Amino acid sequence: MLILRQLRKLNAAQRLQLGVDQTRRSLSDASLQYDKDPQPLFTDAETQRLLQSMTQLQLEKVFRKRTVEDNSTETKFMTTEQLEKEFVLTIEKAKKLLQMPPVVQIKKDTERIISKDPALKDFADSKYVFTDITFGLRPSDRKVVVRDVDGTLAYAPLETQKRMNQLYFPLVGRRSYTPRMFSEEQLLQRCLDDHKYEFILDRLTVQYEPYEAEFHNISAKVFTHLNESKQFDLLRSTRHFGPMAFFYAWHRCIDDLLYDMIRRDYLSNAVQLIALSYKIHNVPVEYGQTLSQLEALQPTPAERALEELLSCLKKPSEKGIEQEIQTAIGKTEQDFAADEISLKFIEQYIGSEHALKKVQLELAVQTLKEVNLEKLQLFKGLKKAHGVQAS
Amino acid sequence: MSLSPASGIGRFYKHSAKIIRFARHGCTNRPFFHIVVMERRKNQHQPVIEQVGSYDPLPNVTNERLVALNTERIRYWLGKGAHMSDPVAELLGIAGLLPVHPHTYMTAWRNRKAAAEAAAAEAVKPAETA
Repeated sequence: MLILRQLRKLNAAQRLQLGVDQTRRSLSDASLQYDKDPQPLFTDAETQRLLQSMTQLQLEKVFRKRTVEDNSTETKFMTTEQLEKEFVLTIEKAKKLLQMPPVVQIKKDTERIISKDPALKDFADSKYVFTDITFGLRPSDRKVVVRDVDGTLAYAPLETQKRMNQLYFPLVGRRSYTPRMFSEEQLLQRCLDDHKYEFILDRLTVQYEPYEAEFHNISAKVFTHLNESKQFDLLRSTRHFGPMAFFYAWHRCIDDLLYDMIRRDYLSNAVQLIALSYKIHNVPVEYGQTLSQLEALQPTPAERALEELLSCLKKPSEKGIEQEIQTAIGKTEQDFAADEISLKFIEQYIGSEHALKKVQLELAVQTLKEVNLEKLQLFKGLKKAHGVQAS
Repeated sequence: MSLSPASGIGRFYKHSAKIIRFARHGCTNRPFFHIVVMERRKNQHQPVIEQVGSYDPLPNVTNERLVALNTERIRYWLGKGAHMSDPVAELLGIAGLLPVHPHTYMTAWRNRKAAAEAAAAEAVKPAETA
């Protein structure tokens, strides 16, 4: 029995050592770290608005089928008023689903000793961990204290505190032991190579707290891989798009994302991304005016989604010819005006010293301009043909 | 022996003596204790008034003994004049909730003494063989 226990202790010690080695290695691997506390900048109202706007709100993506047990849907008969109310609620629900995990500094573990009692030395052969299980406390407020074998009473380190919280008040989906996906390099690499970014980030958010070193390391790894594979659209309209854009803006590598946005004709998002990077690095360029102009011209993602929902209530005969032209082209008159403002701002950025991949961006902008011009001509021609008054 | 809910189903008299004590809930060779409040005169396996914690005396894989204490309710019952069994008083002393129990100091002193004697015997043995 004794031998068994000794063996187990040895094993535990080895495992702990292994764990420490692994974290150290991954720390050295991930080169991109937040050098100062990003939280004030991230939670800032303007930044949040920019990030939410960049994330967009595509309802079919937010409410897509997920790999969960219950994917059932409910069918109901409703009046039009009820349906309109339900639409508003749906948008609220979607907004909640798109809540971004916060970007905060890594929390340092400090040793907080409550008392030292040398007379208690060797009172037992292993330490005691006490957890306060008082009802209704928040996990962060829950006191966990450790009485060491040498009689020292201290607050538990963060790792122990998290483990005890998970033991007595388990969170659904969080494992007591590190999932192999995060502990073994090759498994994570396989996930990355399969472009399962959202899966990794979702699981990361469940498994780790945002202030943990592992959270930062793994998310940095995912974002770096994503920047190389350029599959940004996989994260668009998910809760991880905001932190991703913030990460690129912070580390001055927005060009690939910018190129993707221009190519997909999300010009106002591109402007917001550039504005964000200016804001983070305190670049003396006036962007507020452009942003407010764009905001006046274009609805927010939530408004746009609601509009889209409400438009399916209308019968095709009720929609005017103008509406039909707009749906055929995919743009309104305001959109064309907004595009012009955005393009000016983006070209200014490409001309400045902040842009790294100038040629690529210029080409993308040029192509987009040509396509836009064609669309505008078609738009005007269609309007003229149908006899709609130019406003 | 069935498990009663933590909020307790035990019936009790208003002015009877209550005690905070262990109730053994392990199996053979694997002790595990609930820290419970019950009437002093009752057997440990009878329905309890309230469960206020748990104690696992066997060290886990990281060599820790885990104790959970509902400190709010423990303080409530102590304030109501509940008694405490010695093991629970020792445990609360170790936790820093109460002053350290004298028995803990005695155990510590005895352990240190035994260790010193063992070390001395170890030191003498090689000298004899040599």
